Amino acid sequence: MVDREGKVKSFVLADNNSPGDISSLLKEITLLDKGSEILVDFKNVVSYTPPVIALIGHLRKERDNIELQNISEDAFKFMEMFPGKPESGDQGESVDPEPVRYSGFKKFRKELKIFLVLFLDEFYYLYRFFTGRGGGVYPGEIRKQMFLMGYRSFPIVSLITFLIGVTISISSAEQLNQLGANIYLADLVGFGMVRELVPLMTGIILAGKIGASITAEISSMDVMEEIDAIRTMGLIPEKFIMVPKLISITIMIPLLVAIADFVGILGGILVGKILSGIQPSIFLKEVFSAIGLSDFFIGLIKTMVFGWIIVVCSGYKGFTVKKSAEGVGNATTESVVLSVSLIIFFDCIFAILFY
Amino acid sequence: MDKILEVKNMDVGYSGKTILKDISFHIKKGEIAVIAGKSGSGKSTILKTLIGLIPPVKGDVRFFGDTVDYFSERSFCPIYKRIGVLYQNNALINSFNVYDNIALPVKMEFPGISREIEEEMVYSRLAQVGLYGVEKLFPSEISGGMKKRAALARAMILNPEIIFCDEPSAGLDPITAGSIDDLIVSLKNLFNITFLVVTHELRSIRAIAGRILVLKEGKLHYFGNYKDMMDKQDLFISKFFSGGKKE
Repeated sequence: MVDREGKVKSFVLADNNSPGDISSLLKEITLLDKGSEILVDFKNVVSYTPPVIALIGHLRKERDNIELQNISEDAFKFMEMFPGKPESGDQGESVDPEPVRYSGFKKFRKELKIFLVLFLDEFYYLYRFFTGRGGGVYPGEIRKQMFLMGYRSFPIVSLITFLIGVTISISSAEQLNQLGANIYLADLVGFGMVRELVPLMTGIILAGKIGASITAEISSMDVMEEIDAIRTMGLIPEKFIMVPKLISITIMIPLLVAIADFVGILGGILVGKILSGIQPSIFLKEVFSAIGLSDFFIGLIKTMVFGWIIVVCSGYKGFTVKKSAEGVGNATTESVVLSVSLIIFFDCIFAILFY
Repeated sequence: MDKILEVKNMDVGYSGKTILKDISFHIKKGEIAVIAGKSGSGKSTILKTLIGLIPPVKGDVRFFGDTVDYFSERSFCPIYKRIGVLYQNNALINSFNVYDNIALPVKMEFPGISREIEEEMVYSRLAQVGLYGVEKLFPSEISGGMKKRAALARAMILNPEIIFCDEPSAGLDPITAGSIDDLIVSLKNLFNITFLVVTHELRSIRAIAGRILVLKEGKLHYFGNYKDMMDKQDLFISKFFSGGKKE
């Protein structure tokens, strides 16, 4: 493919070189001493394929000590029209610059700042709404979000909490039966569901269900310039989009928690009746003697905080999306991961505070 | 004529690199000004800067005679009440139907406005842009030309004094693109609306341009009347307006 003429350090390119041959030749030339004279002859080349043109362009720009011979006029014309990669220092035409990329601690600090600003902004607008100073929520939007975020979450939250109630009842019933303490199954299920499992599982389900959808919605709006459009209507997108969602989740969470508590305990009642022979009325009486209203409210407060975490995290990831289809996918995944991590972290904090 | 917008010695850039350098021009009330130039010359950047999405690095921008502080939301927000923006890809909110998209600025600007008044405003704008029978449809259910008209109706709903249009005829067939150009010209003639249009479509420029700003590599190459420009012996301009055929 390439003839080398010993001491002269000259290369004669054959016709029909593969990209691999071109790369090998370039590697060989690069390895030669920078001071040595090099001659590359194209006399045998008939078809100037894109890799051959690229090789000529590259050699012309990179080395002064390389002589190129017998290149066809057409190939030269082509290179003049399409000069390829600019030489170092040549800025070319005005184009959008590379964005500044942060990494490590700087990136974390920058993202934390954005998150906190967004977090404070959203709660500030929420406060203004509830104190009647902000107004400005799009009519019907709260009702729509309550339907999307709350009503549509009832089936999946109910199903999962019912199954969790059944599962912990089955795994505990056998142990308690052996100890002759089967009635305490009601205490265990009631307390465990109301204080711990319902808030945690509801939070995790909502992070996957509504958190992902909020991030995908906002980031798609950002990519489609809808966020810019809202801003240039004189509206504040963070307020316009997020406040109805925060209000809706605040209204819907108590309803979701109440249903989830009821359904989770129902799972326990079912297993208690089948495996331990506990009558439902006795089971319920024992549940109410084990848990008080304060336990319900602790579970409610925890879930409420988890709901706000989900909305704020998903909004933050949506508003800071990298404008591309891949960016939307990544933001959605990151929003769920961030929400679930923060939910578990705050669950741990609540455990320390309330026990 | 009054100056609606005046830009003096404006530089725009970010991440330490200048995109636009020393831009100065002004737009008078009731005219259609066009920003033209090659791709990457900074046309859309000028528009995004003027509507407050990218703050300028230096320079003086005056809207309606007052200097604008792009870093102060309080200073810039009132400007948004007096301008309209038509985005390149329409930026209609996909979860809202056409009616709600157009009514959005009304509902947010005048909370509690009666449904009758709101409908009157929306339907009159729909009529102005020649859009009938699609108000209940969602943006995904209408054609590109209809989306442009709906977006223009939304941009006009609060009677703005100037409408910024980013590539209004981009991605449309020649007939639809021509109808959008005709619409812009008739809106200007009938309602004295000022337009600042970013485009590189030669046909659109010929159809609508009163005055023109030609950008070349981030700098203002020409600013003046379109007709005067065509008489000018300028290599870049002749090449641009002949579709790159002249040298």
